[in-house]
Amino acid sequence: MAKTKGSSKNQQKRGVDFKKIKRKLGRKLPPPKNATNTEIKSKAIVLPEQSVASEKAGLAVSKKGLTLKELLQHTSHHNAKVRKDALLGMKDLFLRYPEELKSHRYAVIEKLRERICDEDKIVREGLFQLLKSSVLPGCKEDNQEPLISLMMAYIFNAMTHLNVDVRLMAFKFFDLVIQYYPPSFSIYSEKILQNYEDILRKNQFYLQDKGKLKNTLSGLARCLSLLPANRRETHLSDKNGRAQETMHSFEPDAPTESSEFLVIAKKLNDILPVLVSCFQEFIPLIHSTPLLDAKSFDCMLSILQSIDLVVRFFVQRVDKSGHEETMWDRGTSSILLKNLLGGFPLNPVQNVSDKDDDRYFILNMAITEIFLHSSKCIFPPAELLNRFLLFIEHALLGQNVSGTHSQKAAREKQILILIPFIPKLLSQLIGDQKSGLLKAFTKRFLECNLESPMKLACLAGIEEMLLFNINDSDLLDFQKTWISKLPMLLLELDDKHPSSSQSVLHLLLRVGQCSLINSELSLEYDKTQNSIMKFYSTCLEDGNISYGPFIKLGRDIQELSVCCLYYFPHLDSLLLKSIAAACIRPELDTFILFRVIEVLHSAYSAGHIDIADYTSFFVTLLSRFKVFPENTCGPMENDAKVPRHGTFKSVTRVVSSCLSQMGDNNLVFMILERVILEQIASNLPIENACALLRMLVELDSSPTKLSEQSIITLSHALSKYLIDVAHTVPEDDEPIGSVRVQKRHYYLLPCFFLFDRSPRLLNLVVNRMGSLIAASHSPLSSDDYIDCANERISRMDAIVSSLLSMYRDPKVQQILSVAKEEIFSISQCICSLLVPFYLQLVQFLDNPRGLDLLCFQLLQSFAFFHNTSSSSQWMDRQMFHGAITVRRRLLVLSL
Amino acid sequence: MEEVVIASSSVDGGIGCWDLQTGAEHLRYKSCASPSHGLTSVGHRFLASSQLRDRASSASIMYWSWFKPNVEVKCFPDEHIKALVANSEGTYLVGGGLSGHIYLWEVATGRLLQKWRGHYRAVTCLVFTEDDSILVSGSEDGSVRVWALYMIFDDYHKQAASQLYEHSFSEHTLPVTDIAVGYGGGGAIIVSASEDRTCKVWSLFKGTLLRNIVFPSIIDAVALDPGEHIFYAGGRDGKIYVAALNADASSSKSDLLHIIGSLSSHSKAVTSLTYSKSANLLLAGSEDGMIRVWDPKTHNIVRMLKHSKGPVNNICIVARPLNPNPRVTLQASKKQGSSLPPPLHRYADQIDRPESMNSMISLQPPCNHLIDASYRSSLVLDDQIKELQQRGSAAAAQMEVERLKLDSIQYTQVLQKWKKMYDNLHEFCVNELLKGDDN
Repeated sequence: MAKTKGSSKNQQKRGVDFKKIKRKLGRKLPPPKNATNTEIKSKAIVLPEQSVASEKAGLAVSKKGLTLKELLQHTSHHNAKVRKDALLGMKDLFLRYPEELKSHRYAVIEKLRERICDEDKIVREGLFQLLKSSVLPGCKEDNQEPLISLMMAYIFNAMTHLNVDVRLMAFKFFDLVIQYYPPSFSIYSEKILQNYEDILRKNQFYLQDKGKLKNTLSGLARCLSLLPANRRETHLSDKNGRAQETMHSFEPDAPTESSEFLVIAKKLNDILPVLVSCFQEFIPLIHSTPLLDAKSFDCMLSILQSIDLVVRFFVQRVDKSGHEETMWDRGTSSILLKNLLGGFPLNPVQNVSDKDDDRYFILNMAITEIFLHSSKCIFPPAELLNRFLLFIEHALLGQNVSGTHSQKAAREKQILILIPFIPKLLSQLIGDQKSGLLKAFTKRFLECNLESPMKLACLAGIEEMLLFNINDSDLLDFQKTWISKLPMLLLELDDKHPSSSQSVLHLLLRVGQCSLINSELSLEYDKTQNSIMKFYSTCLEDGNISYGPFIKLGRDIQELSVCCLYYFPHLDSLLLKSIAAACIRPELDTFILFRVIEVLHSAYSAGHIDIADYTSFFVTLLSRFKVFPENTCGPMENDAKVPRHGTFKSVTRVVSSCLSQMGDNNLVFMILERVILEQIASNLPIENACALLRMLVELDSSPTKLSEQSIITLSHALSKYLIDVAHTVPEDDEPIGSVRVQKRHYYLLPCFFLFDRSPRLLNLVVNRMGSLIAASHSPLSSDDYIDCANERISRMDAIVSSLLSMYRDPKVQQILSVAKEEIFSISQCICSLLVPFYLQLVQFLDNPRGLDLLCFQLLQSFAFFHNTSSSSQWMDRQMFHGAITVRRRLLVLSL
Repeated sequence: MEEVVIASSSVDGGIGCWDLQTGAEHLRYKSCASPSHGLTSVGHRFLASSQLRDRASSASIMYWSWFKPNVEVKCFPDEHIKALVANSEGTYLVGGGLSGHIYLWEVATGRLLQKWRGHYRAVTCLVFTEDDSILVSGSEDGSVRVWALYMIFDDYHKQAASQLYEHSFSEHTLPVTDIAVGYGGGGAIIVSASEDRTCKVWSLFKGTLLRNIVFPSIIDAVALDPGEHIFYAGGRDGKIYVAALNADASSSKSDLLHIIGSLSSHSKAVTSLTYSKSANLLLAGSEDGMIRVWDPKTHNIVRMLKHSKGPVNNICIVARPLNPNPRVTLQASKKQGSSLPPPLHRYADQIDRPESMNSMISLQPPCNHLIDASYRSSLVLDDQIKELQQRGSAAAAQMEVERLKLDSIQYTQVLQKWKKMYDNLHEFCVNELLKGDDN
């Protein structure tokens, strides 16, 4: 426009007044002044919906190249085939692009739900597959409730659809929803149950096809299994016990559940007769046809399961509230009794194959379960009860079982359901019925496989039945049988099935705890000791010990088995022996070792162990305990390197404290004196000897209670022990407080205590050492001269060093000074024997330096004598003479 | 009333009695060798203790009154009683026997009201909840049982119910050694200790196990902090462990996380614990015969009380009435004879009483009165009424004399009146006659 304006201005300038413009021929006329420019200018041309390839490059498409939007549109297409294809396409799309589903799930569901009522069967089936395979699993993580509520309206609509197929399919859809989102049942329970009831009422019209009926019924069974009562049970069982609950808090009231329950209860009351009549319709079928086809069997089983679930729901309510009238309709119970249970058992008309037999068995079992659940509320007549009892008994005995292994296993699983009911059932029975059932139960318990769940179930049943009235003589015999089998079971289980072992031990413990003192049961429990012994260890004829499963089991189980010991009315000495053997195994956990001592001490205080047995247990423990693993009998530097050493020290301490708590120390001492002395004298490793000495010191008092005879025995043992100590922990010039000095002190301390209490013992020991030196001073044979000399010198060394350490202890010094005369003679002996002896031997030594050290020690000890026994100048002279001689000789040698 | 600590031992060291504030020792009550949990004060009126089994003597329970050192009443129950406890008012005395039976006596009359099988093995400890409605018992068989008193006296419900107890906790694998009960009556928590080295916390209301705490040693005594956030557990290794009740154990692998500290004094095994709420102190009795008084805040020993050489196995904190004048009471009691209730009966009475008489009336005396203040059960009242009706007893004769005396006084008064009236009349008549004569 602007341009045209400009040109007109130019023309006005040029022309004067009405000047004619000449135009040449063949020329185009210029456009009129008011012409509109129709030209359109653009840089690119966009044409929507033209090129397929370029357009969908970035979008998610199905195999056929359709986007989600298109597919959704197609689902409401009038052509059934297109709808089906669309559903298939979506399945494909979601498989490829799962995130597509995530982002559009509401849109998808909103569109898809319309198809629930689709008239076409294939489309519905397709939808079912689509929901099952991709949509519902895909939406599992996030908030499902809004999604489900979107669908539910359509499902309910479909449930009341005129078309029967649509209706049935709706139940199938609901079943699917329940599987993925169980809470949806409790939200819509009333409506759902109503719908189920309606369709089952008219099943003769709609459900001619057994397959469809089966689907519906299994859906119902699944719904019912979500009933509050049943759900609660599972809920409790998995958070049983160990759950961390808040300590001080009020139990939150659950009004939701009770209100919800009232509605459901009414509906369930209505649905029960329908189910029963549904089941009855199958009865003629059984009687007419010889074979039970798989579909009807499945239907019947589902019906029975549903009935059972409903019954359980009611029974649990009755248990909880105590009054039954409100929920359990009298009419309903009579229907149940007459129509369902009255027809028990279902028997085939003629002989059938194993497989069919199995089917009948399973059905009968299901009815039995219903009976057992409901028996509390419906008060069955005696005749009916008898029939059931007979069946249970047969089932337990495993009669009619003549099938392959797999079938047997299947039956086992069925029978497993029965076991928990047996204790309750037994408590209601008397006489023959009771003993019959008990016999069957016991047989099943004894025969079933070790690791089968049946065994565990039986054990739980036994535990319950042990708490029954004890005056019942029938039961008592069986109880005895069970108890006597338990230790065997424990041994058979070995360490392969720890959880089973644990439950057996737990049961054993319960038996011990619950048997009254001096009752038959406690006697029986006492008898198990003989077999339980093998659980710990057995002494074989050739003197070796074979260890039972105890050592190999876990710590918890070991502790449990130790706890069982407490409840034996009288712990046998043989059992104690086998426990002691197990206790000194190095692989036993220290914790368990201490637990054993602790529990035995408690048992002793409660009067379950003889004092002699108890003390000998300790002596065995202390004398046989191996501080060092086999074949490494060298002295170790400290406790840290030999953890067993530290353990043994604390064992010694614990045993001593147990002994001191035993009561009359005098009596204990009298019992133990001989045994301990025997053990000490019998060449034990020094750790064990030290432990026993400590035990002796703990029991003994000041002045000593040891008899003259035992002092003499002890003096022999002690002199040997002292020499051993000097050998094992040689004395170096180490600072006081170092590990070695401490260790030496630990070994020597009990001896010093003994010396303090009995100076005579000290005298004897010193004497003995003197005589040992004298014995060494015999002429040497020429063959193994040097070896022999070496050995003698090292022994000499040990004697002198142990004497020295005795002198150094201030308390012992005091005692020594009391027995001056004795000491004097001994030192005289030492001087007269030792010095020349050394001089004789010195030339054969490899290492004169060691000797030098010894001489130094000697000098020290002589110096000590010099201080204490100032009586004899002669002595002094002798000593110094000897010492100087030694020195001189050494100098010569070193030169 | 003053608060005192009483303690007894398993070897005869008597019952020691100390002032909690000053630590001064009061009277020592002679000849008592009690089992663990066998010492109790009955409604602050007197002390009762079961006695350890001695081969020579038979089973016995003894009473001491507050101000005399010697045993005043000896009872001989049917079997040896291990645990003994009285409710806070002192109406009932409950004993747990060696066989597992539990006995319930009425203190005022000594009647055995109930005896029932509580456990399979000896009862080791008995505790009442704070509101006295629930009895908790622990036993050698490892079970802890909760008994509601109303159930024990309700014959009808007893028959209907399958078992007498409210709850039976049997998770302990070895004998139960001690039980502590929290606040809140039936809704309280209880802590039970056992020789299996664990303490378990239970809810009385729900009947469930709340916590299981494993200790490094056997626990012989437990005491709950009044705040109920922690409890103290006295171990055989001489330490007092402090365990948190609300520790978060969900993530932990070891139960030792519950133990948040320990009080250690290198003593021998701790045998009994008690918590003084008024003074906020923790008292621990030990195997070495000492009672250590701890300040739980600072973990310091505040005081040491020396009981005897033998192990202390009971400590209680009880209120004791003040002794106004010891000499007077001594004389008075000499005159009156024993002021304590009669000994406990050995067997339950078989006398059938009318149903209406079964209910008990206990008249609780004001707290600082002694026993001779009125405290009677319906049975005693019944007896008195009967006596009065039959006028058989001396008391009845006395009352008759009183009444007659009163009557005679009244009659004399009436006689006086009549006499006066007669005199007046006589005077009047004489006057009238004289007047007549005048006229």
